[in-house]
Amino acid sequence: MNQGPASQTILVVGGGIAGITAAVEAAETGYEVILLEQSPALGGRVSAFSRYFPKLCHPTCGLEINYQRIRKNPRIKVITMAKVESLSGQAGDYTVLVKTKPRYVNEKCTACGDCAKATDVRVSNSFNYGMDKVSAAYLPHEHAYPQKFVIAPEVIDTPDADNIKAACKYGAVDLDDTESVFELKIGAVIWATGWKPYDATKITPYSYGASPDIINNLEMERLAAHDGPTGGKILRPSNGEPAKRVALIQCAGSRDTNHLPYCSRICCLGSMKHAVYVREQYTDAVVDIYYIDIRAHDRLEAFYRRVSADPQVNFIKSKPGHVEIEEDGTPVVCGEDTISREVYARSYDLVVLALGMEPSALTDTDAPHMGSRDDYGFIVPLPGDEPGLSSAGVAGGPLDVSMSVQSATAAALSAIQAVRKATAQSGALE
Amino acid sequence: MNNQILNPGVYLCGGCGIGESISLDALEQVAGKEYKVPVCRQHAFLCGDEGRALIEADLAAGNVNQPIVAACSPRVMTDQFTFEGTPAIRANLREQVVWAQPAGEEDTQMLANDYLRMAITQAAGTVPTVAAPEGEYSHTILVLGGGSTGLNAALAAANTGYEVLLVERDNQLGGWANKWSKTLPHLPPYRDPQPNTINELITTVEAEPAITVLTGSLVTKTEGGPGKFNVTLSQDGSSRVEHVGAIVVATGWRPYDANNLVHLGYGLNTDVVTGIELEELLTNESLQRRSDNKPAKTVMFVQCAGSRDPDHLPYCSSVCCEVSIKQALQIMQTDPAASVYVLFDELRTPGTAEEFYRQAQKAGVVFIKGKVKSVSADLGVTYDDVMLGQEVTLQGLDMVVLATGMVPNSTNPEIEPAENGAEQLLDDVNPNTPLSLAIKIIDNDAKEVVPPTAEQAQASEPVSAALPGGPLLNLQYVQGPHIPMLVDGFSDSHYICFPYETRRTGIYTCGPVRRPMDMAEASEDAAGAILKAIQSIEGAARGAAMHPRVGDLSFPKIGLDTCTKCRRCTIECPFGAIEEDENSFPILIESRCRRCGTCMGACPVRTISFDNYSPNMVLGMIDAVEVPDEFDEKPRILIFACENDAYPALDMAGLNRYQYSAFIRVIPVRCLGSVPLLWVATALEKGFDGIMLMGCKSGDDYQCHYVKGSALAKERLSKIGETLKSLMLEEERVTMAEISIADSHSIPDVIDGFVETIEGIGFNPFKGF
Amino acid sequence: MAVSSDTSQKYDLGFARWVYQNVKGGDKLSMCMQCGACSGSCPIGTEMDHGPRKLIMMVRAGMKEAVFQSNTLWNCTSCYRCTVRCPRGIPVTHVVQGLAAKAVALGYASEVDTARFAHSFWWSVTHFGRTDERLVTAKYYFSFGFIAGIKKSLDNLKIALGMVMKGRMHVGLPHKVSDNKGLRAILEKATEIEMRDKQGGAES
Repeated sequence: MNQGPASQTILVVGGGIAGITAAVEAAETGYEVILLEQSPALGGRVSAFSRYFPKLCHPTCGLEINYQRIRKNPRIKVITMAKVESLSGQAGDYTVLVKTKPRYVNEKCTACGDCAKATDVRVSNSFNYGMDKVSAAYLPHEHAYPQKFVIAPEVIDTPDADNIKAACKYGAVDLDDTESVFELKIGAVIWATGWKPYDATKITPYSYGASPDIINNLEMERLAAHDGPTGGKILRPSNGEPAKRVALIQCAGSRDTNHLPYCSRICCLGSMKHAVYVREQYTDAVVDIYYIDIRAHDRLEAFYRRVSADPQVNFIKSKPGHVEIEEDGTPVVCGEDTISREVYARSYDLVVLALGMEPSALTDTDAPHMGSRDDYGFIVPLPGDEPGLSSAGVAGGPLDVSMSVQSATAAALSAIQAVRKATAQSGALE
Repeated sequence: MNNQILNPGVYLCGGCGIGESISLDALEQVAGKEYKVPVCRQHAFLCGDEGRALIEADLAAGNVNQPIVAACSPRVMTDQFTFEGTPAIRANLREQVVWAQPAGEEDTQMLANDYLRMAITQAAGTVPTVAAPEGEYSHTILVLGGGSTGLNAALAAANTGYEVLLVERDNQLGGWANKWSKTLPHLPPYRDPQPNTINELITTVEAEPAITVLTGSLVTKTEGGPGKFNVTLSQDGSSRVEHVGAIVVATGWRPYDANNLVHLGYGLNTDVVTGIELEELLTNESLQRRSDNKPAKTVMFVQCAGSRDPDHLPYCSSVCCEVSIKQALQIMQTDPAASVYVLFDELRTPGTAEEFYRQAQKAGVVFIKGKVKSVSADLGVTYDDVMLGQEVTLQGLDMVVLATGMVPNSTNPEIEPAENGAEQLLDDVNPNTPLSLAIKIIDNDAKEVVPPTAEQAQASEPVSAALPGGPLLNLQYVQGPHIPMLVDGFSDSHYICFPYETRRTGIYTCGPVRRPMDMAEASEDAAGAILKAIQSIEGAARGAAMHPRVGDLSFPKIGLDTCTKCRRCTIECPFGAIEEDENSFPILIESRCRRCGTCMGACPVRTISFDNYSPNMVLGMIDAVEVPDEFDEKPRILIFACENDAYPALDMAGLNRYQYSAFIRVIPVRCLGSVPLLWVATALEKGFDGIMLMGCKSGDDYQCHYVKGSALAKERLSKIGETLKSLMLEEERVTMAEISIADSHSIPDVIDGFVETIEGIGFNPFKGF
Repeated sequence: MAVSSDTSQKYDLGFARWVYQNVKGGDKLSMCMQCGACSGSCPIGTEMDHGPRKLIMMVRAGMKEAVFQSNTLWNCTSCYRCTVRCPRGIPVTHVVQGLAAKAVALGYASEVDTARFAHSFWWSVTHFGRTDERLVTAKYYFSFGFIAGIKKSLDNLKIALGMVMKGRMHVGLPHKVSDNKGLRAILEKATEIEMRDKQGGAES
């Protein structure tokens, strides 16, 4: 049945914090690992966070260590701009079809930046969620790994592409780069496909898109980041003025049977962190956090205590009904304060929707064989399932960073057990 | 092999703007004329195939055995510039010279020249590292704690091919899980209480040939390190020593003592029970009261009984909301006519557990947001009903259930506290405590040094009353017998992105001793801890370091001939890797060592060094810098930059083309904790005008990957003030800057600000001596 | 069918369970998590004494009298915003209407000001197929008694005249829909369906 010995290679799909962790942990235990990432750089969601709760430290700190672990470990092969097309087989003997998008830049790139100077074309900066623009020849961000430029498809087949190619002294620009599909022989697969924010426009009462001053929690992270569109200043997108009256609306999509029925776990703490961002910048700022229940587990409770001790951060137990827009574009949050019974309509400089997490695997990776999924699309292996497939991080349910890493470490062990078992069985068959 | 003659070759890259900005010929002069390096080549694109072929040809021909690459930062192009498994020595001319300095300037060239001089010197001070594992390594994993976490840990190890010694203090396996009537649902559809499968788990573990179960047993002493732990076990009054490779601690939790909750009626009425006590009353029949066996038709659960309460447990115990929901559902399922209330402050059913909350509501459980005030002896619950906006006293209840929290078993309350190591039970690591104690002792008597006594250790702060008891492993470490705690008595990691970071290499905690968590999460956590335990065993057997310098084969070598037995290295080691022999000389337990160099920074007589990182190597690099005399009006500032955060930030400043003073010279260090004051003093004697230590944040939310490097550096610098004064030097010449990896944008301000300060003070009067 | 008589006892679930079983949409009421989205979405939330969110908590708390005397039942304009936005799928509008219907059936309506108005409104609609401002207000004012009716009418005379002057209130016979007979038939059918649903609902 098996053709030759079982494959011992572990495929990790998704290069966010969970995928990176699963990959390095498996590789450092001695296994060959292929790490696939669909975007041009590793790091996933966390690389676009300004800071982590509750320590308010920078995600790049841990990512730097992880990238050094990857650089030093010959057992890990990183493939960016890649997706799984299909998967078949069983533990020890999976056939995985991988499709890569063209980067138009090859391994010779030194990140010198000459290509970026060769074009005036600016494209939407996806790292900053489209809040600003970058050159059509760009490094995804200052801490990008791999540190290789990308050419935006928008300029391909235009004279700018030729200028970009001519500017590169190292022959690193490859305008003939194409989509490619190749096959991998894999022993076990870890799905670390992560999450995406719930589509805010589906929550129509909250008027996302109707005013530039209604943003989401991920955009708030970029506003606070030193390499974000505002250089780290929390400014109103409408007029660039400091955002000093800020509303943070919890459960935007989460805990709502019309949208995401589950709780996304991280948003309460994330919003409290946002309150700190604002208060650190403006001594006279006032932040209102609208919530149903504040879910600050274990020692994170101390962070809740710390933030709620700030007299200029108000916790208002209320799920707002809607956000209205005044004629000048000012957002007005309307609802009932369930404790005082006041029915309020309050204007803000900035309204931040704490959007819930939706599994990316819901639509982005429709490999037919990901293992058992729950009703929400999270990958949750069930007892008796195929042992070669496991999930790490938010692919398996809403988790915070620490729990994602914990889950990824366990997934690495599970994948190792699967390839060991398959190897033992194929050995027995021979 | 270590004695081979060093044949350095210098390779200068002209790419990425280097060739346009500075003169490579001038650099070749430095290598050839000043340092007599026989092989020196230039290439416009060194990381390309042709460039690397140049280096490989020299290596193959035997002309060169130590390539020095003067090109980009050592953080990048690591694959391209690693030859035969050994990374080249790098001079960072790109990110930290030409990208951060104006092209064609004299100062830019001087900076590049100095970085090449420093790299050549570094190469001369570097010996190839060789793994030095010695003796027998055990591959057995000891799992301490036979509850559900420990059982899952043991199975995870056995299923990966490792032998397990499972030690349980009780006479039977299973722990608290034996008491659960049902368990929480962690699989789709996440709605109904699940059958308790602890008996099946115990049966599986007992049938597993790779697992040896020892019940009724305690660990009384632990010595050694990863791969070589010697663990003394006592069972039935007899004791024996087991040789194990790694230890996973799964000692779990205990309920918060409800006797402290008299205001919630506990002890006033037998029908006020804890959630744990309720488990034993929940059967397939409808619930009966303890007092009179009459049916309990109206039951109120009081959440956060002792949790989230500054007078009791400050933290949230995480699982109580879901447990009360489970119990409420069980009551409703046996008696749909029952009236069941859950009084909560914040209802915490994160993730898919929200489904469980809805299921309870659907069954008719009434959730009331309110703050409990009191529970009276006649079962009257008084609380602020927040949603109704009035105080309510609920009368006529048949039973009140207190959802008490979890206390971690990070100590064993059944045995006597240890004589020393009390400071380990304080909240979090207090980075300054061990050092200040050490310094106090050293100051008192430089020759006769005694270890810090329990009284001295306790003098700083009182030990948390919530954590009585003796050590779990009774570690025979200078740092004390306990596994260090983080906060609230939990033995968790300080790092968000590295939850299995441990301050005792080879020893990993998992389950509720690490953080309040339910059984499903603890099972996953157990698997994670087992993977780390396996890595620590295999790493030890290869002589390689664990996180964060994974795979590093270098280790500190201690020259005992000049050692003064000052004990600083043993005390300051964040990982307890240095012990003392019978003559009080330090001895390194290599497999515990994480290679940060804190010992090297601590040693006053520079007798501790690594093959590729040593006091003499760095002193050589300092000496290699050409310090112009004061008439040139070019000050020189030496920066020691932490390689994990500050150095990448400097690189990213270059990547962004931020410009800053060319008067600085940067030496990357493994950790600021590895910087001895001698380096600072030497640099000042050499004529450097200012010294800056650039590292991460210290304090409660410290960033140091070696726990206390920044704190130690700060502490050490605070001692240098006196020295500077005695030399008639201004204190401002030596400073420390907190730079995180995300601070690339503030690098120019920090550097130029310091240069301005130094220019204000004037030149170092020692210049030219 | 009987409502629990003991309403002084807080959180006696007798009333709540009666509501769950007997009020339209009541079977979903136990799902409420008191988030306030309903009350916060209500366009006339400021005009309500309790609002739907608190009303639901009061049902749970067994506050029968206060629930049936609440103006929340009568001020609802059936815009359905609360129902559409409820994150727990509770048909809040139906519950409020259902409680109003029970209030009428149990005789609470006559005590509530807004209920009187609703009664007058309904009278006009069923008689003419339209609301006649004069007759609706007159019937409402005189429901307080003859003297009170005169007084209230005089108090509002100025407004009425103003409306007439601006052409906002017509004089003469009440307008009627052209097919008043058809309207009757529709209303009879609706009543029949409602009764049938109620019986069917009780069975399930």
